[in-house]
Amino acid sequence: MKILSRTFTFNILIKKLLILLVGAFVTLLSHAQALTNVIEPPKEFDPSSWNWVNIFIIILVLLIVLVIARAFDIGGLAEKITGKKIVSSHKINGYVSLVVLILGLFGVWWELVNHGKLLLLWDAASEHGADLDSMFMWTFGFTFVVFIITEILLFYFLFRYHYREDRKAEYYFHNNKLEIMWTIIPAIVLTFLVLRGFTVWTKITQTPNKDAQEIEIFGYQFGWKARYAGEDKQLGESSFTLISGTNPLGLAVESEATTLKSNLESEILDLKSILASSPDSIRLWRAALNSMESKGLGNAYVEEHKLLKEKVLDGESGAYANQIEKDIMRKETNVKRVIAYLSKATIFNKSSYDDRVTTEIILLKNKPYLFLFRARDVIHSAYMPEFRVQMNCVPGMSTVFPFTPIKTTEEARISKGNPAFDYYLYCNKICGSAHYNMKIKIVVLGTESEYQTWMLAQAKVVPPAIEAVPASAKDSLSVLPTIVSNP
Amino acid sequence: MSTVALKEQDSHTHEHHHKESFVSKYIFSMDHKMISKQFLITGIIMGVIGMGMSMLFRLQLAWPDEQFGILEMLLGKWAVDGKLDPNFYMGLVTIHGTIMVFYVLTAGLSGTFSNLLIPLQVGARDMASPFLNMLSYWFFFLSSVVLMSSVFIETGPASAGWTVYPPLSALEKAVPGSGLGMTLWLVAIALFIVSALFGGINYISTVLNMRTKGMSMNRMPLTIWAFLFTAILGVLSFPVLLGASLFLIFDRSFGTSFYLSDIYLDGIGALENVGGSPVLYQHLFWFLGHPEVYIILLPALGITSEVISTNARKPIFGYSAMVISLASISFLSFIVWGHHMFITGMNPFLGSVFMILTLIIAVPSAVKAFNYLATLWRGNLRLTPAMLFSIGLVSFFISGGLTGIYLGNAALDIQMHDSYFVVAHFHLVMGSAAIFGMMAGIYHWFPRMYGRMMNNTLGYFHFWITFITAYLVFFPMHFMGLAGVPRRYYQFTLMEDFSIWGDVNKLITVAALVGGFAQILFLYNFFNSIFRGKKSTQNPWQSNTLEWTSPIEVRLHGNWPKELPTVYRGPYEYSRPDRDEDFFPQHIKDEESPEVLYTTKTKVAPKKVVLEEESNVFFTAIKRLFGLSR
Repeated sequence: MKILSRTFTFNILIKKLLILLVGAFVTLLSHAQALTNVIEPPKEFDPSSWNWVNIFIIILVLLIVLVIARAFDIGGLAEKITGKKIVSSHKINGYVSLVVLILGLFGVWWELVNHGKLLLLWDAASEHGADLDSMFMWTFGFTFVVFIITEILLFYFLFRYHYREDRKAEYYFHNNKLEIMWTIIPAIVLTFLVLRGFTVWTKITQTPNKDAQEIEIFGYQFGWKARYAGEDKQLGESSFTLISGTNPLGLAVESEATTLKSNLESEILDLKSILASSPDSIRLWRAALNSMESKGLGNAYVEEHKLLKEKVLDGESGAYANQIEKDIMRKETNVKRVIAYLSKATIFNKSSYDDRVTTEIILLKNKPYLFLFRARDVIHSAYMPEFRVQMNCVPGMSTVFPFTPIKTTEEARISKGNPAFDYYLYCNKICGSAHYNMKIKIVVLGTESEYQTWMLAQAKVVPPAIEAVPASAKDSLSVLPTIVSNP
Repeated sequence: MSTVALKEQDSHTHEHHHKESFVSKYIFSMDHKMISKQFLITGIIMGVIGMGMSMLFRLQLAWPDEQFGILEMLLGKWAVDGKLDPNFYMGLVTIHGTIMVFYVLTAGLSGTFSNLLIPLQVGARDMASPFLNMLSYWFFFLSSVVLMSSVFIETGPASAGWTVYPPLSALEKAVPGSGLGMTLWLVAIALFIVSALFGGINYISTVLNMRTKGMSMNRMPLTIWAFLFTAILGVLSFPVLLGASLFLIFDRSFGTSFYLSDIYLDGIGALENVGGSPVLYQHLFWFLGHPEVYIILLPALGITSEVISTNARKPIFGYSAMVISLASISFLSFIVWGHHMFITGMNPFLGSVFMILTLIIAVPSAVKAFNYLATLWRGNLRLTPAMLFSIGLVSFFISGGLTGIYLGNAALDIQMHDSYFVVAHFHLVMGSAAIFGMMAGIYHWFPRMYGRMMNNTLGYFHFWITFITAYLVFFPMHFMGLAGVPRRYYQFTLMEDFSIWGDVNKLITVAALVGGFAQILFLYNFFNSIFRGKKSTQNPWQSNTLEWTSPIEVRLHGNWPKELPTVYRGPYEYSRPDRDEDFFPQHIKDEESPEVLYTTKTKVAPKKVVLEEESNVFFTAIKRLFGLSR
C-alpha cells in the first residue's frame, strides 16, 4: 500500500515536471518565432533576445536534470518492491568520482597549457621581478605536487573504498610516526619558503638606493598623475590644504595659495549671505510648492515637484542652514590652514616651481626609481603587474616602492608579439564608481636622449616667465644636467 | 491554590511537557533545536539572496556590453536598459560579500549547528541560557532585515567592498553607497555582533559546564571542539569589529577623525579632518577579519570530521592531533591579520613578521588534511550526500589552502594582492569549503532536525553539479589573478590587457549560473523532505554520538525524556574488531569493564581504548590548567 502511494506521488511529480517542460518548450518556440519577426522590434520589455534563449536553455537543462533525478528514484522503488539491492549508490558514486578525477586532472592540464601562456609571471619587466618570479616557481612547484597527489588520493580512496556490505573498515586511528612525518615535512618545506620569501621581501622593500630617482604618483577619483622633480632634483612640498582647481596636486606655490585663500574667503562671504537670506528663500520655496500643489501641477512635473519638496523639507527642518554652516566652518578651517602655510617660509621655497606634472609615467630602462605615493581622497592602489609593483596610496600617509625597469616598451612589444602593447598602472583598491577605468600609461624608454626630449616637452608647474628667471638661467635649462642618470 | 500551582509546575518539570502556543513554539522559541532551525532557514534565505546577487554581477562581467531585460526587471533604475549601474555593481559585490561571510557562513553555519549539536552531543537539556539563545536569533534576524532594507533605498546599498575601508566608506560624497546605505550596513553589523556574542557566550558556557556524566573533554566529538574554538574566536574578536564600526560611525556622523586625514574631495574642498589613519581601521577590521575566516571554517571542519568518521565507519585518524591543530589554528589566527595588509603601507619589517606567522598556519592545516585522507584510507565509505559534501570540503580545503601559501608570502602578495587570485583563494578555502561543510551538516543532521530523510538521489546530483561548477568557476580565476586582473572591476573591456579574459569570464559565468540553479535541487529536496520525506529511523547513519539517542519522533524540549545518557567512551569507536556491529555508541555500557570506563578521573582507562591513553597527557594538563575536569 505504501509503495503504491509513493508511486502515485511520483507519477504526479513526473506529470508536473513534464507540463513544465512542455510549457518551457512552447515559450521557447514562440520566442524563437518572435526572433524571426524583424519588422516589429521588441519595445520596452526588450531583453536582447538571445539572452532569454540562453536563460530558457539553462532552465530546460535544470528541468531535465530534475527529471533524470526522479527517474533514478525508479531504481529505489524497484528495490523496495523486490526487497533486493539492485544497484549500490556507493558504487555509482565511486565510479563517478573516478571519472571526475580524470576529467579534473585533464582540466588542470588544459588550464596550464592554455592559460599558462597568458600569465605574466614569467616575464617580469623589473629587476626585482625575477626574484619574485623564481619565488613563485618554487611555491608553485611544491604546492602543485601536493595538490595533484592529495586530490588523486582523495578521489581514488572514494572509488577504492566505497561501501560494500561484506567489508569492515580497518580499526586504525593512530600512527605516531606517520603523524610526525606529515607535521615535520610541511614544516621543513614551509621554513624553506618562509626564509626565501623573507629574503626576497626584504630585498625588495628594505634596500635603500640613494641613486634612485623619486617620482611622485598621485591618485585621485578617478585618475593618476605623476610628478617629476625639476632641475633642483627635489620634489617640492605639497599639502592637501593647498589643492584647488588650478593646483590639483596642492603644491606649495605661493601665488596659487594666495588665490586659493582669497577665493575661499569670498566663498565664505557668499555662503554667509545665503545663510542670512535662507529664511526668506525657504518661505519663497514653500510658497512656490504650495501654489504648485494647489494648481495640481505636482503630477505633471514629478521631478520638479520632488526636488522642490525636498528643498522645502530640508529648509524647514533646519538641515539646509545646518549644511551651509558646516560648509562655512570647513572653509574657514581651510583658510586658517592656508594662512598658516603661507607664513611658513620653509614650505614655499620654490622647489616645486620647476616640478613637472605629467599624465604619463615615462621611465628609463635600467634606472632605479623610488615611487612616492599620495592619494587625494580615498585609498587607491597603484598596481603595475608587469613590473611586479603594488602599493596602496593612502590619504594622510606617504608610501613608497623602489624598483628598476629592465625592459623598454618596445622590447615588451616585440617579446609579446603585440605592437599595440603598453604598460599601465592600474587602480587596484575599490575607490568608487569609475574604479574599473582608473589607469595611467607607463612608457619605458631605452635611451637618455628620448627621455630628455620628452622631459623638455613637459610644462613646469610654474612656467619660468612668471618666475622671472634671468635669460642666462633659461639657456642652461636645455642642458638639463640634473636629469642625467647614473650609468 | 498555590499548592496546586506548585504541583502543576512539578509535573511540568518532570515530564518536560510545556503547553506551548504557536508563538512560543515556533517564533520566540527557547528550544535550541527550534532556534537552530530558525538560524538554518534564515541562513538559507540569505544564501539564496547572496548567491543570486553573485549571479547578477557575473552576468555583467561575462557580457559587459549586452543588455539584460531580466536585470532591468529585477533592479529597475539600477539597470536602465538592462545594463547594470557601476555603483550598484559595487553595491552587489559588497552585499554579496557581507551576506555570505556574516549571514550565511557565520550565523547560518555556526548558528545552526552549534545550536543543534552542542546540547545534543554533550548531553545537555538545552543551552546554558535559552533566553540569550533566543535573543541571539532575533538580533540576527533584525540585523538581516536591516541589511536587506539597505538594498532598497534610493542611494543604494553600501558599496565599498565587504571590508568597507574608510575613507571611501566614511565619505558620503565619495560614493553614493556611503550615505544611508553605509549607515544601515553599520547598524546591521552592530546588531549582528550582539547576536554573535550572545551565541558565543552561550556555546562556551554550555560546552564547559553542561556536559553529561562521563563526557570528559577528550570524549567530545570534534564538532563540539570546533564549535568551542569558534565561539572563543568570536567572543574575542567580534568586539574589536564593534569598536572599529563605532569609530567609523563617529567619523561619519560626529566629525571625529579616527580614520580620516588629509582629504580633499572633488566639489567639496579640503576636509577638516586631520591626524587619523585609514590603516588603523584596517588593523582593527582584520583583527576580527582573520579570525572570522576560521569562525567560518572551523565549524565546517568539525562537521566534516564527524561526517567522515561516521560514514567511513572508521575512527577519525589522530583525534588528539585534530584537536591540537584546531587549537593552534585558532591561536595563530589572532596574530596573522597583517597578511591582509602587506602592501597597505604598513612597515615592511612588520610585514615579514606577519608572513612568518601566517605560513606557520599551513602546518596544522596540512595535518588536518592528511588526517582526513588517513581516515578515508581502508575505510568502508558510505557515500551518502553528506559524505560526498565532506569530501568536497576536503578537496576545496586542500586546493584553497595551498594557494594560501602564495598569498601569505609577502613578496608574492605584491603581485597577487587584490587580484582574482585572492578571489579564487578565499572562495575555495572559505566560501565553497564552508558551504560544503554546511551542506554536509544539513544532509547529515536533517533526520535529527525534522525526523525525516532527504532524498539521496537529488543529493547526489546536487553534490556533483555543485562540486564541478564550483571548480569551473574558481579554478580559472587563479590564472586570471596571476595575469594581474584586479578584482572588483565593473568591466574589463576598457583595459586591453584584461579583455583577453573575456571567454574565460563567460565560462565562469555559465558555470556559476548552472551551479546556482542547481541549488534549486537542494531547495526542493530540503523543503519537500520537511513535509514529505521518508520517516527516519532513530539512528539512520548508525552513528555513535549522543544526538541520536534523543528521540527524533517527537520534539522534546529537554532532549531526553528521562535521565540524561551517560557516556562511556570516545565518539569515534567505529568498526572495533572485538564487536560484530561496526559502531559502538557512546552511551552503551561496555560489558567487560563496566565501571572503570566512565570516569576519566580515575585515569584507569582500559588498554583497548588507545585513544584516551594517547591524549591523556595533553588533556589532563589542559584540564588542570583550566579546571575543566568534570
